[in-house]
Amino acid sequence: MPMKLSVNIGTSVFPNPVTVASGTFGHSEELYRSKEVKCLGALVPKTVTLNAQQGNLPPRICETPAGMINAIGIENAGIDAFIDNKLPGLKRVGVPVIVSISAHNEDDFALMAEKLNAAGGLAAVELNLSCPNLKKKILVAQDAEATAAVVRRVKAVVKYPLIAKLSPNVTDITAIAQAAEGAGADALSMVNTFAAMAIDVRTRRSKIGNFTGGLSGPAIRPIALRMVCETAARVRIPVIGMGGIACADDALEFLIAGATMVAVGTFNFVNPRAPLEVLEGIKAYMKKNKMSDIRELIGSIQR
Amino acid sequence: MAQIQTACHVVELKKINATYLRLVLEAPALAAAARPGQFIHIRVSDGNEPFFRRPFSIYRAQAGKVEIFFEPVGRGSKLLASRKRGDVLDVLGPLGHGFTPPGKDVKQVVFIAGGIGVAPFMIFSDAIKEHKAEKILLYGARSKAQTFATGGLKKNGVKVFVATDDGSVGTSGRVSELFDRVKASPDTMIYTCGPRPMMAAVQAFARTHGLKGEVSCEEVMACGLGACLGCSIPTVNGYRTVCHDGPVFDLQAPVFG
Ligand SMILES: Cc1cc2nc3c(=O)[nH]c(=O)nc-3n(C[C@H](O)[C@H](O)[C@H](O)COP(=O)(O)OP(=O)(O)OC[C@H]3O[C@@H](n4cnc5c(N)ncnc54)[C@H](O)[C@@H]3O)c2cc1C
Ligand SMILES: Cc1cc2nc3c(=O)[nH]c(=O)nc-3n(C[C@H](O)[C@H](O)[C@H](O)COP(=O)(O)O)c2cc1C
Ligand code: FES
Repeated sequence: MPMKLSVNIGTSVFPNPVTVASGTFGHSEELYRSKEVKCLGALVPKTVTLNAQQGNLPPRICETPAGMINAIGIENAGIDAFIDNKLPGLKRVGVPVIVSISAHNEDDFALMAEKLNAAGGLAAVELNLSCPNLKKKILVAQDAEATAAVVRRVKAVVKYPLIAKLSPNVTDITAIAQAAEGAGADALSMVNTFAAMAIDVRTRRSKIGNFTGGLSGPAIRPIALRMVCETAARVRIPVIGMGGIACADDALEFLIAGATMVAVGTFNFVNPRAPLEVLEGIKAYMKKNKMSDIRELIGSIQR
Repeated sequence: MAQIQTACHVVELKKINATYLRLVLEAPALAAAARPGQFIHIRVSDGNEPFFRRPFSIYRAQAGKVEIFFEPVGRGSKLLASRKRGDVLDVLGPLGHGFTPPGKDVKQVVFIAGGIGVAPFMIFSDAIKEHKAEKILLYGARSKAQTFATGGLKKNGVKVFVATDDGSVGTSGRVSELFDRVKASPDTMIYTCGPRPMMAAVQAFARTHGLKGEVSCEEVMACGLGACLGCSIPTVNGYRTVCHDGPVFDLQAPVFG
């Protein structure tokens, strides 16, 4: 029995629902040639910004129970360098590419979208909205209006399907999700990291150079799953679920909760083969449960 | 890099002395690909505690086997120390950029190591055994217990000079007490690996005398592959990842703050 694994976001088709979370997947050409990478449903490189950013002071990472805290600071060479140096290699892999962008204001977001339009050949653009909202002292992703404004502005120029990536550091993530949907987002990506910290009791200093950072990994999975489940029930656009996915069962939880795609993030660092194992596991589960289309699985939670 | 993630059998895990253990892994592809100064990234736990892999310098790579030397200092390395012969470990590697072999005109090769930082110089001395230069190791350790098996380096024709903090072997004091063994010449090449203050001292010494060299740095790592940018250190060229751009850098590149 042939199995249909492909999923759609806007007008783009992805061969399967398994992808990687932005910032957790390397740029190395060696990696691109590997079977592990060619099997992915989409590639999502680290967020790029308009201009180069040097990133935060070390230490930038520390491990925590079943996870880690990071404050990398979106270290990147800027979008022009990305388009010239990284994008061609990414496109050659032959897997749909989703480019994640972030900016300090709506104009910069729009300018970046135009540059990506010119570059061509993308499957989607993802907005990393965990960036400061200059008018208020919070992140764009923490404010429904600011989220809607950025989405609306980029949607007006971008020629690719548009994904809004949400922060879990909010009271009601479904409100932000609905704002993004209302403003024209074609999909939601959730969740980003949870604001967190760790202290070295010997020195009484934060273990992170930036003082605080974002928690990710298996530790956050149950909370991320709850947020995805609530959101998928309230919006009509697809949700890309992530947060601590380490194996097929974890990914199945997100799909059953209503996610259309799933991303492996932090666990890539522990097991680079995790995305491939997740995909194989999903196929095995579908076979065992006599499912011929991934859509039978998505949102199949029993209430 | 044919196979970067491999399941390796533990062939041997042995306590060498009060401080160090040697782990030998069956890993033919890895052993063939390994270069001096590269490291392997070992998943020490089958579960999520501790969460990150742990990086270890390749101490030796020969006859299809890869060896590391390590000190059980914390949770991860202690867990590794509790493994048994026959166990299977999930290993990534060989990773990172290793040492640049000394050019033909180099007349003195100086290894300067502190504590476990000596590990990569074993495989390096294997690789440059045929090189005509004089080879010396300046080795700093806390006490006698740490001055393990420099025998292998001696067999490769390396002259070993030791300084211990407590004076239990060799010169008493820091490894910098041994710097007068270094020939202040453009034909000298320094390679160093060890605690940060030591590497900073070597860097300053080389700068003062205009000597060339390379340094192998350490930083806590997550991916080990250059993906997360978590192990970045400040260098004169901006931030660089220890795992992918390093661990070996030009001696004057890192900014030891
Ligand atoms: C490229 C590289 C090569 C290395 N080669 C060797 C080797 O050949 N032999 C060996 O014994 N050790 C080596 N190390 C250090 C080794 O990785 C750490 O000792 C080990 O990760 C500590 O883990 P743990 O769980 O036992 O200690 P933890 O409980 O995690 O920490 C114990 C102490 O070690 C420090 N530490 C933790 N991780 C690192 C790290 N990656 N680098 C430096 N300090 C760390 C912590 O800050 C803490 O002070 C190397 C490190 C790097 C980056
Ligand atoms: C080291 C690191 C870097 C990250 N960088 C980015 C980034 O550049 N852009 C982004 O949208 N999310 C970034 N994230 C968040 C992840 O994409 C993901 O949303 C989050 O970590 C939750 O998934 P996980 O638990 O599977 O990692 C980063 C996460 C980590 C651990
Ligand atoms: S450990 Fe991830 S980039 Fe070095």
